[in-house]
Amino acid sequence: MGGQRELSTPDPVAAIYRRALPHVYGYLLPRCGSVTLAEDLTAETFMAAVAATRKPDGPELTVAWLVGVARHKLADHWRRSVREQRTAALAAEPDDTLDDPWNEWLDTEAAYAALRRLNAYQRAALTLRYLDGLPVADVAAHLGRSLMATETLLVRARAALRGVYKEERDGC
Amino acid sequence: MAADSLDVLRLPVVPVEPRPRFADALLRQIAAAEAGGADPAAVRADPAGLRDNPTVRYFVSDLDTAVAFYRGRLGFEEELVSAPGFAMLYRGGLRLLLSVPGVAGAGAPLPDGSLPSAGGWNRITLQVTDIAGTVEALRTAGVRVRADVSTGFAVRQALIEDPSGNLVELIEPAAGYHERT
Repeated sequence: MGGQRELSTPDPVAAIYRRALPHVYGYLLPRCGSVTLAEDLTAETFMAAVAATRKPDGPELTVAWLVGVARHKLADHWRRSVREQRTAALAAEPDDTLDDPWNEWLDTEAAYAALRRLNAYQRAALTLRYLDGLPVADVAAHLGRSLMATETLLVRARAALRGVYKEERDGC
Repeated sequence: MAADSLDVLRLPVVPVEPRPRFADALLRQIAAAEAGGADPAAVRADPAGLRDNPTVRYFVSDLDTAVAFYRGRLGFEEELVSAPGFAMLYRGGLRLLLSVPGVAGAGAPLPDGSLPSAGGWNRITLQVTDIAGTVEALRTAGVRVRADVSTGFAVRQALIEDPSGNLVELIEPAAGYHERT
């Protein structure tokens, strides 16, 4: 009898996945800037979630937790692409990292466009730090770097962003 | 670092509906993954997995080779592959699950420590229209034929092996063949 009742109850696990899907995809899409990549990472996120919740001490399944998994998948993606183009990424870093002045007025669309043109590590660091608002220590954890290395990376990434941003804003 | 002109870049999560085709496929894949393993709790939580399709599970030593065999030689369709340990194929109304021993899910060791393995005598039976021609074509393609075409009760039958050593029986109806209509 109990089994019968269970079968006719809507499946809570399926419901949470269904509800979380637009949130996970909505997190990934603007940060990826690519539908294909956003879909791939969304699928990775959910399949990882299914695997994690099958374990005996699995996490509680919430939208916030799934978005967190998506953030890890995105960071992992960028780390993979860094490994694939490490030399290019290092060569592309500009040198003028000491002062970091921004106009008080920032054209955010131009800044997002500029962000997409940075190398993967810089893009990852700035996305996690500013778009997601993570503390530097959390950025470091997602990227598998030390706190100091992450601070340096952020300084350089800001400088690189500023260079590209000027081009974007001035329509070059 | 001065705080912080870039804080205006903060981007809250705004829900975006993915393309329906992608969403449907993903939700199906999730349901299948939940039904695919040996965890009884997951099966209970997924009534969508309790369909009428007869389902058989085979253990295979190599997933890619097995999927290629069932697709290429026996006309199965690939529904999903979750490497390294699980695949789901369809042929008509039959759903065939492939699991790799030692991989979590159905391939995990039993509580008594024993590990599933490929082979054994039980098998799926596939109906074909020209058994002699089918077996000859399979043999030519390098498929191992364990028992050549013979006449049984109301069928002609043969036994072939998948790359992991699982038997697949082929039958062609003959005089007196019966099936529920």
